[in-house]
Amino acid sequence: MQYQSSLGREGLVDLALQQYFANVDKKDLDAVLDCFHDNAMITVQTAFTVHAGKENIRRMFVDFMGAWETIVHRDFTCTVDETNGRITACFTAELTDNDGNTTVLHNTNFWRIRENKFQEVYIYMSGENPLT
Amino acid sequence: MADLPYEYYVDIVTKRYFDGVDNYNMEQVLDCFHEDAVLTEVTSMTVHEGRDAGIRTMFEGLFAAHDRIWHGNFVHTGDTETQAICSQFSVEVTPKGAADFLRYENCNRFYLKDGKFDRVFVYMSGENLLK
Repeated sequence: MQYQSSLGREGLVDLALQQYFANVDKKDLDAVLDCFHDNAMITVQTAFTVHAGKENIRRMFVDFMGAWETIVHRDFTCTVDETNGRITACFTAELTDNDGNTTVLHNTNFWRIRENKFQEVYIYMSGENPLT
Repeated sequence: MADLPYEYYVDIVTKRYFDGVDNYNMEQVLDCFHEDAVLTEVTSMTVHEGRDAGIRTMFEGLFAAHDRIWHGNFVHTGDTETQAICSQFSVEVTPKGAADFLRYENCNRFYLKDGKFDRVFVYMSGENLLK
């Protein structure tokens, strides 16, 4: 599906990195969910897992934020297609549990933006899917 | 060559690279890469270094192992400013002698320099085919 986005290059990067990932790392659930349309969809493509609709996305993030003591996303490289309202970022995700055990993933996200929020998100992971 | 047009990035991925892969045209495929290019399969952290060494060997293995290879259903994120294109797509492959094909939903990240692939990163939804 091709969507119309109202965001330029800087706006797309800000949405993906500051409004989304920075708030995931802060475990600010409301701010994270504000990045999504009500009928948005997240697909973890490497695990064929789909979370459709904001309520299912909320449930996924509640579990994810509860499962890890600290969540850090860093070392982003963004590819921005502002004409088509798409942005991709590769990054390192560092997840640490309550016992101090750390899981490091090298992932890539694809976002398709409608107006100024996420309509579709596709995640490709280097390891086991923590977004269940 | 930083001002290559948007369509250049889509065309090198679809009309040159994947067209070459799907038609077993090794020279067409390798012509998309710089000599010192590196291709990394991220989901298994398999690294193939050098157009005429690791990357050629990888494609020789892929071509020898399959009777049919098809890439399609592309959605691209193309960025002329950073000379990069990230592509999502479906893959169907039929292993040699098998009756049924395997289906994958993959993505590649291509980083170009002077119009050719410098670094390529592949994520696969199933077992790594690019060994």
